Amino acid sequence: MLRYILSRLQSLVLSLIVASIVIFATVEVVPGDPASFMLGMNAQADTIAALREQLGLDVPVWQRYLHWATGLLGGDFGTSYTYRTPISEMIAERLWISLPLAIYALTLSTLIAFPAGILAATRRGSATDVGVMGLTQLGVAIPNFWFAMLMVLVFAINLRWFSAGGFPGWDNPLLAIKALTLPAIALALPQASILARVMRSALLDTLSEDYVRTARAKGLTRRQTLWRHALRNALIPVLTIIGLQFSFLMAGAIIIENVFFLPGLGRLVFQAISQRDLIVVESVVMLLVFAVILVNFAVDIAYAIVDPRLRGTR
Amino acid sequence: MKALLFNRNFAIGLLLTAVFVAGALISFVWTPYDTSGVDIANKLKKPLSDGYLLGTDHFGRDILSMIMVGARTSIAVAFVAVGIGIVIGVPLGLAAAASKGSLMDEIIMRSNDLVFAFPSLVIAILITAIFGPSALNAIIAIGIFNVPVFARLTRGAALSLWQRDYILSARVAGKGPARISFEHILPNVTNLLIVQGTIQFSLGILAEAGLSYVGLGAQPPIPSWGRMLAESQTMISFAPHMALLPGLAIVFTVLGLNLMGDGLRDVFDPRIRREKR
Amino acid sequence: MSLLSISNLNLSIGKKPILRNVSLSVAAGEIVGIIGESGSGKSMTAYCVTQLLPEGLTATGDIRFNGQDILATSEAGMCAIRGAEISMVFQEPMTALNPVHTIGQQVAETILIHEPQTSRSEALERARDALNRVELPANRFPLSRYPHEMSGGQRQRVVIAMAIALRPKLLIADEPTTALDVTTQAEILTLLTRLVREDGMGLMIITHDLAVVADMADHIHIMQKGQVVENGPADRLFQTMQHPYSKALLAASSHVPEREQPQGEAPLLEVRHVVRDYPLPRSALFTKPESFRAVDDVSFTIRKGESLGLVGESGCGKSTLTRAILGLEEIQDGEILLSGEPVFTGKKPNRAVRRKMQVVFQDPYGSFNPRHRVDRLITEPFHLLDSAPSDREDRIAEALRSVGLTPDDAFKYPHEFSGGQRQRIAIARALIIKPELIILDEAVSALDVSIRAQILDLLAELSESHGLTYLFISHDLSVVRSITDRVLVMQHGKIVEQGETQSVFDNPTDIYTQTLIAAAPRLPEDLRNF
Repeated sequence: MLRYILSRLQSLVLSLIVASIVIFATVEVVPGDPASFMLGMNAQADTIAALREQLGLDVPVWQRYLHWATGLLGGDFGTSYTYRTPISEMIAERLWISLPLAIYALTLSTLIAFPAGILAATRRGSATDVGVMGLTQLGVAIPNFWFAMLMVLVFAINLRWFSAGGFPGWDNPLLAIKALTLPAIALALPQASILARVMRSALLDTLSEDYVRTARAKGLTRRQTLWRHALRNALIPVLTIIGLQFSFLMAGAIIIENVFFLPGLGRLVFQAISQRDLIVVESVVMLLVFAVILVNFAVDIAYAIVDPRLRGTR
Repeated sequence: MKALLFNRNFAIGLLLTAVFVAGALISFVWTPYDTSGVDIANKLKKPLSDGYLLGTDHFGRDILSMIMVGARTSIAVAFVAVGIGIVIGVPLGLAAAASKGSLMDEIIMRSNDLVFAFPSLVIAILITAIFGPSALNAIIAIGIFNVPVFARLTRGAALSLWQRDYILSARVAGKGPARISFEHILPNVTNLLIVQGTIQFSLGILAEAGLSYVGLGAQPPIPSWGRMLAESQTMISFAPHMALLPGLAIVFTVLGLNLMGDGLRDVFDPRIRREKR
Repeated sequence: MSLLSISNLNLSIGKKPILRNVSLSVAAGEIVGIIGESGSGKSMTAYCVTQLLPEGLTATGDIRFNGQDILATSEAGMCAIRGAEISMVFQEPMTALNPVHTIGQQVAETILIHEPQTSRSEALERARDALNRVELPANRFPLSRYPHEMSGGQRQRVVIAMAIALRPKLLIADEPTTALDVTTQAEILTLLTRLVREDGMGLMIITHDLAVVADMADHIHIMQKGQVVENGPADRLFQTMQHPYSKALLAASSHVPEREQPQGEAPLLEVRHVVRDYPLPRSALFTKPESFRAVDDVSFTIRKGESLGLVGESGCGKSTLTRAILGLEEIQDGEILLSGEPVFTGKKPNRAVRRKMQVVFQDPYGSFNPRHRVDRLITEPFHLLDSAPSDREDRIAEALRSVGLTPDDAFKYPHEFSGGQRQRIAIARALIIKPELIILDEAVSALDVSIRAQILDLLAELSESHGLTYLFISHDLSVVRSITDRVLVMQHGKIVEQGETQSVFDNPTDIYTQTLIAAAPRLPEDLRNF
């Protein structure tokens, strides 16, 4: 087990290093010079040079990469070109919205998908199965931001149950959670549909395995076979999808924050793009990618907990 | 082919998809109204009024015409993005499978994992932050994301095919890995690729809509479904049809493609076919 | 009164009858063998008894177990019987156990399901006893083992332990040893017989291989197309058989093709001190992979016109050796010469040498690209020639005719043929460039006995008419015995014994060869010339 974790950890670190190089290099190829861009057309050459020095743009590329990367390790993302404030502070503030939103949505999606998928698989071919599959087919096809707009129309504008957007802060956690509810539902819907479909087909696959037949021959009922033997084995593909979904949720959150005017990472990134504040874009992208890689690492560990074959011989 | 048309999923899916593809094609030669001009006199017409089947938007533009032209953008972006994924991903997957366990295989698969860590929206953000938003950059962003999808799928399927005895026979006949990959492996993974292709196509349409919604996709004056939705947002309380109709267009197209994919899989995959009998 | 009695059992899928008027009985302490080729309905009979039929199928007739009417018993009632009164053992030990539970949990589950008042620790203790009874001792096989840490034979023992944990009255074993090597097969059969004798349990053993049950069963039923065509006490059945199918089955099982082949003295294939190492998968990215020696200093010679057998159990290195001879993989040491020329020169396989040998594989279904027509399939070896032959059509027709097919078959796809016919196409593909050596890699192992006999006859005939030399690789000793002149026995990558087939089989000198030959299931000796 330890060896497995170490080997996963090794690839985690490697992925992070490569990802940071890719992101850094992509931003490096940007046409034009950020310093002259920030100061506008009429800036003096020596003002530009001074700013370049201040921003650390006057040293070789590899030194800048090392500087940036070591900064990241200590939680220092650098300074925003536009606001001249530390990016880590800007991100930390926004993260308090984006991260709870992603976790809220993932929880919702799992809570909906598991029962739906299990129900459909156990009653294969029944009206329940056809109904669940039809709904998920629709759920997969609906763009989440459009669903969010429709929910705003119905629940905020017409019924006035929720506010149409904005975030009251975490001073009152209940209000904060309420403000995140519609966005989380919008994010969770397509994910829940995908997950329910995967759950169903994974269960159907395991239910046709030889060891399920063995269990039935031992005298287990269909229901006992499902809970004791099929479900845990079906979790392996389901975990993969949950891991993948996290990256979709992070990305989806960026768009959904726009619908609900939530001051999260998504809003930050769009502001930064329009202000060409590249170092902010770079930092947020790095953070998102870091989160995805970390979640995939967690999924790898979860695999090993579910499946003893991955733990290797002890 | 006959089996396909008798498959309910495929038939419904094909019909839905065909409607939108036809709309997009017709829009090249004819639309009910011109979509480039502004006609403030006729703004915010309700559907089925004054000769506007689906009503008009806040500039008085005909929504049906906008949806037809928007279909063009969605379909073109998604289609090219799937093409990028197949053209780059499939050969990578074939090469990785042919050299299983080698350093090349390792590198291909690890870089795939890495690309998976960048969701298409994140790639799009990076690209637009640097080169500015455009339909082309949306295509590249979605296309890059498709590459590992097809590479993994191809590698997985190819690996199981490489175990077959007919591959060994081909090797005994002196054929090299490249020739075997194209002669024996590729034709036997096409079915899988077609199924995945329709799924990625539908995901591409969703991704394009999302990108243009946040302004990272096709730029004005090119109409696109995502931007129609973005523009409708502030008017949703008094002109809900502006938000409903382009959204429904997305849902039906994606639904159509997914149903087609399901139908294709049912017909291609003998394992599932047997189950249904 | 017998423990299990089946009378007039009928079953059909749609309009297709699967079982027709099957009647048989098993008494306590009796071993009943049910023999049949694939599709004979032998497994379906077993599934009827435990009511584990595929969904939507219902059998008609009468099944009495201990006086109870099985077909009238509810699903809940069947759950109480399965595992406690009637247990089952299946063919595939590799997939029959749940990979995510320990063997202790899985054996204890049988007990806990049927006796819910049992405490967990007591159930585990009884699971331990059951594992001990199937000869999986606690010191080497603790309850905390997972299935993937065990071999196929060991897993089959765990499945048996689960089945007998509650000392059922009837055990049904469906091809319990088909997926196992001969020595393991013999051990499992001995184990099953011992358990039957100890517990006075009835055993219904289902197999396609007459020899497996010939000296174990008390009573034998032979099935064909859903019917019992012949049955009788095992010790007399072979003498009294009446039905043409069972006679044909027996004849095919002990079939020896007639061969008369002038053998030259000139060596055709020379294998000298060959070593093949496999790199093991990397444990992490930049670590140097370790290696495994699959073929260890192997040397032998095949003379022109000879038929040489290579026998060994799975994992002994025979497939690796085959690939090395075919020039598909580089060897780490030694040399392989065909007619004096190296198969592998430098880094490149030698095409001129390669075209002198061809191969026929085991699986008649996986041997052909399903998207190509027969003419394209069998002309694939033309790739080895410097230019495509001008008489392509004639050669296709000739190759197909020589394996007993017609030239028109060239325009069909492989799925239009039966397993035996496909194996004929595979032989046609091997013949088409007129090779000198044909390697038969388990070429008849996947075929039913009657088809196998036909293919063996064809091979014997072809070796005469085409002057072919065979390297016959198989785990099946009886096949090797019937068609080879000399035999090599391979174990752990080494040749442990070689010599004239007859003398090796009659007087094996190596200990492993002795075990192997003793373990091989055999029909009663006086029937071999039947």
